[in-house]
Amino acid sequence: MRDLLVVENLQQVFGGRTRTYAVDGVSFRIPEEPAIVSLVGESGSGKSTIARIILGLLQPTAGRVLYEGTDIFTRDRKWNRKFRGEVQAVFQDPYSVYNPVYKAERVLKLVIRKFGLAKSKAEAQALMEEALRAVDLRPEEVLGRHPHQLSGGQRQRLMLARVYLMRPRLIIADEPVSMIDAGMRASFLNILLDFQERHGISTLFITHDLSTAMYLGGQIIVLYQGRIMERGQTRGVMKDPQHPYAQLLISSIPTPDPRKRWEEDLSAGPLAEVGPGISSGRDRCLFAERCPAVMDRCWGARPLLQAANSNAMSEADRDVACYLYQ
Amino acid sequence: MPALLEIRGLSAGLQGRRSITQVVSSVDLDVQRGEILGVVGESGCGKSTLATAIMRLLVPPQVLQSGSMTLRLKDGNTYELLELPETDLRQLRWRHLSYIPQGSMNSLNPVLRIERQMTDTLIQHGLSREEALKRSIAALEMVNLEPRLLDSYPHELSGGMRQRVIIAAAVSMRPALIVADELTTALDVVTQRQLLQELAGIRDELGATILIITHDMGVVAQIADRVAVMYAGKIAELGTVNDIFESPLHPYSQGLIGAIPRAGGHRVEGLPGEAPSPWNYPAGCRFHTRCPHVIDRCRAQTPALLPQGDGRWAACHLYEPEVLSNA
Repeated sequence: MRDLLVVENLQQVFGGRTRTYAVDGVSFRIPEEPAIVSLVGESGSGKSTIARIILGLLQPTAGRVLYEGTDIFTRDRKWNRKFRGEVQAVFQDPYSVYNPVYKAERVLKLVIRKFGLAKSKAEAQALMEEALRAVDLRPEEVLGRHPHQLSGGQRQRLMLARVYLMRPRLIIADEPVSMIDAGMRASFLNILLDFQERHGISTLFITHDLSTAMYLGGQIIVLYQGRIMERGQTRGVMKDPQHPYAQLLISSIPTPDPRKRWEEDLSAGPLAEVGPGISSGRDRCLFAERCPAVMDRCWGARPLLQAANSNAMSEADRDVACYLYQ
Repeated sequence: MPALLEIRGLSAGLQGRRSITQVVSSVDLDVQRGEILGVVGESGCGKSTLATAIMRLLVPPQVLQSGSMTLRLKDGNTYELLELPETDLRQLRWRHLSYIPQGSMNSLNPVLRIERQMTDTLIQHGLSREEALKRSIAALEMVNLEPRLLDSYPHELSGGMRQRVIIAAAVSMRPALIVADELTTALDVVTQRQLLQELAGIRDELGATILIITHDMGVVAQIADRVAVMYAGKIAELGTVNDIFESPLHPYSQGLIGAIPRAGGHRVEGLPGEAPSPWNYPAGCRFHTRCPHVIDRCRAQTPALLPQGDGRWAACHLYEPEVLSNA
């Protein structure tokens, strides 16, 4: 089976004397058939750095990103143009991506012009209206307005309309719903699901909010300090996480149900947060100092991401980087 | 027992050149002693303005328009917050009323050690240096931070630790009421859980009352005792957390709860439309433009926040006796 996108042993190291490993040996793939893959982790886990590398905005220290088998950093202009059309970004802040002096629809018009999507003005207009309807925006509430006259939710959906015009194969969405209102989030996520089901568009969904990843389904990759701790089908991982970090993370989701409150009081537990700079030495499990199940082995060498070997779990498609399962 | 804080008809707005644009409109709310009350709503619904108004910290162009707020402390002292002169308010704040504004973990002074920043306020409130230090250490312990952190500068701490320092500072005078605005918004879920559990612990330990303002329905479901749902500057519904989540009355609360993305593979629909901004709050019920159950009266008449039994309140014409009897 060919893959749409392959991320191979990606590493990104920042800084000189004190080196910061933002991404440390991350590999995953997004399949050919339309899929949603969520990349979750807390701030500083490297998820946005991975997004920037995949978009070609940042050259990794080591590792490769292959799009349809071609390394995205060794490409010619023609290939580059195709890649830029087929892989589209949606960023976190629906305010700063617009130029406030132009009308909001300029983001659509530019795409139509640059990629020659329409032959006439009327055709361009029809395309814009179709794209707006595809993201549940009424053309009359958007066209002719300036960005500040639109709400955050509208602006973010307008970015999806722009993406829709391009009919990309892959959307890299970096925290796209964290700045839009609770009432609007579900609609935005539904559009991504529609894109996948009706238009064959895959999404790499980057978030710190596990409940949105849970809603989208598909696959999930759990990052911690630049490394993958666990990977699998979202539903399976959420129901039965294997890695102690994934277990901690998932049990800490504030479930919007007052009858399902957190059971254990973590406030004084051994899982207390480690301050930056304390964790030194990377040839070990990076979660060791917070892990309730830590063993001597965990300090000795880095656990590799492997298929989970656990009697408790019958799921085939699951990888865990933890000695408990190796 | 009378409420710790009794808010009546509180209105606040933005002073324009010619007129005031009302942001918070005649809010009535009793904050009960020892409870954690969650105030939820979409951005722009006035929840932060309400919090700042309670603290009497509105700054121009924000203006207080009308209403009253009565604070009844355990020691028997009663304060009319809206009538107090600024000098008295300064004594009240921090000692009895504590405020953790949105994004405050980024408001620590980067060139001063934590110790100085925590003790300064206490000394300002009349404590000696030793006493202030002792209180600061005790407060840090409440949020599971070690006393050695007092020697740190803010940049040496993670976001979660800085937010804990802020909470510690806010509770160091053992206040009766803590108002926390979007306390955990920028933090990851594990830190969020720890902080919220610490906050609940502080409530139990100090017998404090906590008003928590958030847009995150998950957060209120986890730690609030009661919930006030705000929409367009007014309280739409008020009730226990179980009532609000299990059988919301107001169509807006129903929409808000229904719009939460949940696991399970079935889709939920978002709330249609956008929340109005204070410049164009609709007449009548402010939710009528988005309400699926709108009736004629909603467009003309503003519904009052009325008791619905069992300590529940809703501001919706659908639950008024004469509408119910016609149905």
